[in-house]
Parts: sequence; C-alpha cells; structure tokens
Amino acid sequence: MGFILRRLVFYFGAFLVAVVINFFLPRMMPGDPVDAMLAQGARFTAEQIANLRLTFGVDQPLYQQFFTYLGDVFTLELGHSTFFSNMPVSEVLANAFGWTLFLTGTATILAFMFGATLGIVAAWYRGGKFDSIASPLSLVLQATPQLVFGIVVLFSLGVTWDLIPISYAYDPELTPDFTSWEFLKNVLLHAVGPIFCIFIVQLGGFLVPMRNNMINLLNEDYITMGKAKGLSNIRVMLNYGARNAILPSVTALSMALGFVVGGALVVEVIFNYQGLGSVLFNAIVNRDYQLIQGQLLIMTVFMLAFNFLADVLYVFLDPRLRKGGK
Amino acid sequence: MSVNQANASVHDKTDIQLSVRNLCVDYITSNGDVRAVSNVSFDIGRGEVFGLAGESGCGKSTVAFSVCRLHKPPAFISGGEIIFNGRDILKFDDEQLREYRWKESAMVFQSAMNSLNPVLTLEEQFCDVLLAHTNMTRQECIKRAGQLLEVVDIHPSRLSDYPHQFSGGMRQRLVIAIALALNAKLIIMDEPTTALDVVVQREILQKIYQLKEEFGFSILFITHDISLMVEFCDRIGIMYAGELAEVAPAKNILTKPNHPYTEGLGNAFPPLHGEKKRLVGIPGTPLNLFEVPVGCRFQARCPYVKDICRKEYCKLTEVAPGEFSACHLHKDGIVDIIALEKQPVQG
Ligand SMILES: Nc1ncnc2c1ncn2[C@@H]1O[C@H](COP(=O)(O)OP(=O)(O)OP(=O)(O)O)[C@@H](O)[C@H]1O
Ligand code: SF4
Ligand SMILES: [Mg+2]
Repeated sequence: MGFILRRLVFYFGAFLVAVVINFFLPRMMPGDPVDAMLAQGARFTAEQIANLRLTFGVDQPLYQQFFTYLGDVFTLELGHSTFFSNMPVSEVLANAFGWTLFLTGTATILAFMFGATLGIVAAWYRGGKFDSIASPLSLVLQATPQLVFGIVVLFSLGVTWDLIPISYAYDPELTPDFTSWEFLKNVLLHAVGPIFCIFIVQLGGFLVPMRNNMINLLNEDYITMGKAKGLSNIRVMLNYGARNAILPSVTALSMALGFVVGGALVVEVIFNYQGLGSVLFNAIVNRDYQLIQGQLLIMTVFMLAFNFLADVLYVFLDPRLRKGGK
Repeated sequence: MSVNQANASVHDKTDIQLSVRNLCVDYITSNGDVRAVSNVSFDIGRGEVFGLAGESGCGKSTVAFSVCRLHKPPAFISGGEIIFNGRDILKFDDEQLREYRWKESAMVFQSAMNSLNPVLTLEEQFCDVLLAHTNMTRQECIKRAGQLLEVVDIHPSRLSDYPHQFSGGMRQRLVIAIALALNAKLIIMDEPTTALDVVVQREILQKIYQLKEEFGFSILFITHDISLMVEFCDRIGIMYAGELAEVAPAKNILTKPNHPYTEGLGNAFPPLHGEKKRLVGIPGTPLNLFEVPVGCRFQARCPYVKDICRKEYCKLTEVAPGEFSACHLHKDGIVDIIALEKQPVQG
C-alpha cells in the first residue's frame, strides 16, 4: 500500500507540472483567437475586436489569466470554446470523447493483442519463415507515418473500390441510436478505415519489443527447465516464456491507452472523424485557448491515470515487486 | 566388438540405466563447427552415481544436456547413440521425448538458482510437471508437492511462495525436490551445489545421497571439484577437451590415475584426507577446440609426452578390469603413472 500511496503523490506532482505547461503551451503560439478569426476573413470594427478580446478574457495580463485558469482547473470549470460557437468546453469534449475512445481504444487493444501474440510466436520460432517476414515488416509499418496509411486506405478502399465510407463516424442522415443494429453497423463500417490505420502503425510497437524480450528470455534457465520437465511446448511458451516477457509490454499498453484520448489526430482529420483529434486540430488552428487547455487537461489526466494503472498492474503481475514495496 | 564399444562399463547388460555411445556434439560458430564433445562413451548402472569431471569448457554440461536432448542451437548432436533403458532417445519423436523428460531422467541445472520460473508459485511449478506426466488430480499433486518439500526440509506451507522468497540454498533444494517429483530413474546434476558454501554443499549432497539410497535412482554428477566427486561417486569419467581421458572407479582416481591429465587434476586439488601434497596445477591452457592436434589432445600439456603421442590418436582402452584410459603410456605396459613423476620417460 505504501507503494501505491507514493506513486499517487508522485502523479499528483506530475499533474501540477502538466497543468502549468498546458496553460503556457497554447499561448506560446503566435496570435490569439481574435487574430485567428481575422485571419480567416472575419470583418470586425476595432470596437468589436476589443469586445471580443474582453469576452475571451485574452486582454487580461497573463498572470491574471493564469490564476483564473488554475481556479477553473480545480473547480472543473473548463470555460467556453471560441471556435465552437461559445459552447462549453466540457460539452465539446464530451461529444468527441466517446468516438475517440472507441476508435483509438479499439485499435490500440487490437494492436496489443495481435502484436504481443505474433511477437511471442516470432520469438519462439525465431529465424523461421514467419519471424523473418513479420519482424522486419512490422518495423517498417511502425516507421511509416499514419498519414501515409490514412491516404492509401482512404483512396484505395474508400474511393477506388468504394468498400468503406470516407468521412464521418456515421452517415449524417441517420439519427444516432445506439440500440439500433442498423446504426451500430453503420458506425462499425465507418470505423474500419481509421481503426485499421491506427492499428497497423501500432502493431509493430507491440510486436517488436515483445519478440525481443521473449528472445532474451528464452535463454533463461527456467525456460530450459520448463522444457526439461516435459511440459508441452505451448505451456512452456506461454507459462514460462510469455508470462515473463509480457511484463514490459503491459506497461507499454497502459501508456498507449493513456495516449488514446489524444486521439489519432492525423487519421481523424483525414477521415473527418468527429473525435478529440479533430477537435484539437480545430482548436489549435483557431487559437481556441480554453478548448486546447481542456483537451490537454484530459490528455494529462488520462496519461497519468494509465501510468498509474501500469505501475499497479506491474506489481500485480510480477510477484518479485509485491513484497517489500520497492 | 571393438574395445571402444566394449565401453567403460563394469555392469552386465541388464543392469545398465543409461548408455552413451560415441556421442559427438558440435557447435556451429562463425569460424566453423567445433566438436565440443567427441566420441564420448560411458554407461551408468542402475542406482549408480557416475561422475564427470574436467576443466571448465571440457564439455561436461554439453554431455548432460544431450542426455535430455536439451542442447540448444547452435549445438547439435552429430553422432552417436544415447540408450536409455534399451531405447535410443535420439530416435524419439517429440511426444516420446516429452514423456521421457523428467519422468525418466530429471535434471538439476548448473545454475539451479535461476531455474525456477519467477512468476509462478512453487505449487504451480510442482503441479505442472505432475499434471503433465500423471493422472493425479490437482489436490493429489499439491499433497505430493508438500511431501517433496518435506523431503528437502522445507515446510510445505511455503508452497504458495514465489522463488524469490527463498534463499539460494533453498532454491537449490527446491529444484532437487522437483527433480524427485516423478521418481525419475536418472537424475542429472550439473554442478548442483557450486553456488553454495561448503557446509551447505555437503549437507545437500548428503541429502541427495540418502534419497538415492532410498529411491534407487542413478545419478550423473558433474563438477570440477575432484575431491568432492571422489567422495560422492561410484565411478568417474575424466573429460579433457571434449573427450573422455579416463573412466575408473572413484577410489582409484586420486590414488591410481591411469591418465596423466587425471594425475594433474588430482594434484590441483587438496586431498581431503591423508597427508598434504604439494599443489601443482596443470601447466598450460585448455585446448582450443579450433586447433585440435594430430594424436593425443593432451600432448601440449603432458609431462610424459612421446613421439607417438603427436602422431597417433589413442582410443579409450580398458587398461585394467573396469579401468579405461586414453593414453599411449599403457601400450608400454606402464601402469603406475604417479611413479613416473620420479623417473620421467624419454621422448
Ligand atoms: N553456444 C556456444 N557456441 C559455441 N561454443 C560453445 C557454446 N556453448 C558451449 N560451447 C563450447 O562447448 C564447450 C563445452 O562447453 P560446456 O558448457 O559443455 O563446458 P563445461 O565442461 O560444462 O564447463 P563448465 O565447467 O564451465 O560448466 C566449450 O569449449 C565451449 O566453448
Ligand atoms: S598419450 Fe601421450 S601426450 Fe597423451 S596423455 Fe598419454 S603420454 Fe601424455
Ligand atoms: Mg558446465
């Protein structure tokens, strides 16, 4: 328990630091929300501009904005979006949150399941046919930008063969109804392209470390002992090999899940998917400080929460860490 | 039957547990293949403790792993037979091999400390092997595991613990307990006690000996500590550079060596009993397996080397009943190598 408490204190400190950075980061970009509006061709009088600055609060000195912001963070008051017609930031984010969680979360978990399993198999039969194709290939996939997959999938599956829709999370004509099978099918179909793009880039990120870990591990004496005991191959592979090799990968998964709410910015923009990635993209382009802050805040909270989860899981999975509370 | 095949055995055929015949094991390296074990033949009788001794790198572990077919790439068995209870295990298919392992021949590794799976409880590590080879229920397995722990003086309540919660010596005993789980007929012990201090070492070996007397299994015991080995074994094989230099009853190894290398080994260790001799190591370094010379492999370090040693290979030959040696000296009718020390032979 001492261990968990200490981690909690640490994460709270990290949270404070992140909150400060989240405030200054958007303000370090040139221009403010009003400039962004003007740049996009809006016509205002000098008086209107001054008024807008007043409503957005950007005319106040920075330190004053900062303390208002701090107070807001701890009262969970996220302010209003300048870009999404003055909607509360919490509402804008809540609308996008579920979609991103679904998209990136599904892709990440699939990537972990496939990546870890294939990594285990590649390591067990290292140097074999599967290993010598899968391992280099996944390195290549991992190094390829999502943009490339996004565009390739969009144009091949979406445009040329017309197999998947190229825009939105569901057909705009449909009214969202999560109890109707028709609607869910539509949602799934819309998700195939983006999920695939995120999945394929992440796959290697799980496969390669898992494989390398496992290969190192296969030289351990307890693996040989497992074989010497006359256990079936699959048992040695899973209970003796994978069970030990998966420990670092669980941390990696948890961290990846922490990134999930950052959304897959590029993929969401390409597929015009209404997730947090798209929101962040629009918020940045329009210098929508409050929205950026709000988005960064949930990202921070998620990152820290999943890091914490990783710590706890690690202790749960590795008996050597359980006692003594290292 | 050639002398080599007559083999280093004092047993009649029905009494043989394991018979290793002309075993050759190669390692594939970037500089070409090296033969780490070359034409090694020996028998182990039922209930017998057979020792393998020799300098580090002479191939003892390679032999041990081969007997369970646990050698890993880049090692491969390039020749010979390993007959266990009349069946050649080198001809086993995967399933036969799986059944053979641990049930027939169990192994305590050189690094027994690290041979327990760190993320499984002991109970799990006892049960998996019992369940894989018997029809016992899980309850019966746990009961048996508890009994085995008691055999090695560890309280059965600790079954739910993980390996890291035990001391090094306890882990060693745990591995031994697991090795006893299926009443294997042969237990291979590759330096089972090197990591332990001398007192614990002796305790464990006495325990093993006692268990052997009780259950009647055979032991292949590996160490480079000759004095320990002499105490503990019935017969001993001395290996040099991948070959057997000598096989003889344990009591003769120190007092009446049949091979100059054995004599050197004996001189390198202080005798446990009797008068203290001057300790002389064996001059020179172990043979580089990439530069195997024509003739005897020990020639560069042998104080008695003769011309013929550099020209002609000498097979392991029975030089006295139950005593085998691979040395040209015996052709000249020289029996007492220790006596040679005082009057070196002329090359
Ligand atoms: N993976 C490998 N690749 C190449 N050669 C190897 C490999 N493993 C072992 N060898 C060689 O095989 C020979 C025998 O090694 P082995 O481990 O059987 O020695 P050993 O007698 O058990 O030594 P020790 O007393 O140190 O345990 C050594 O000369 C070693 O150099
Ligand atoms: S054969 Fe010759 S070199 Fe080899 S051990 Fe005997 S005497 Fe020495
Ligand atoms: Mg060894």
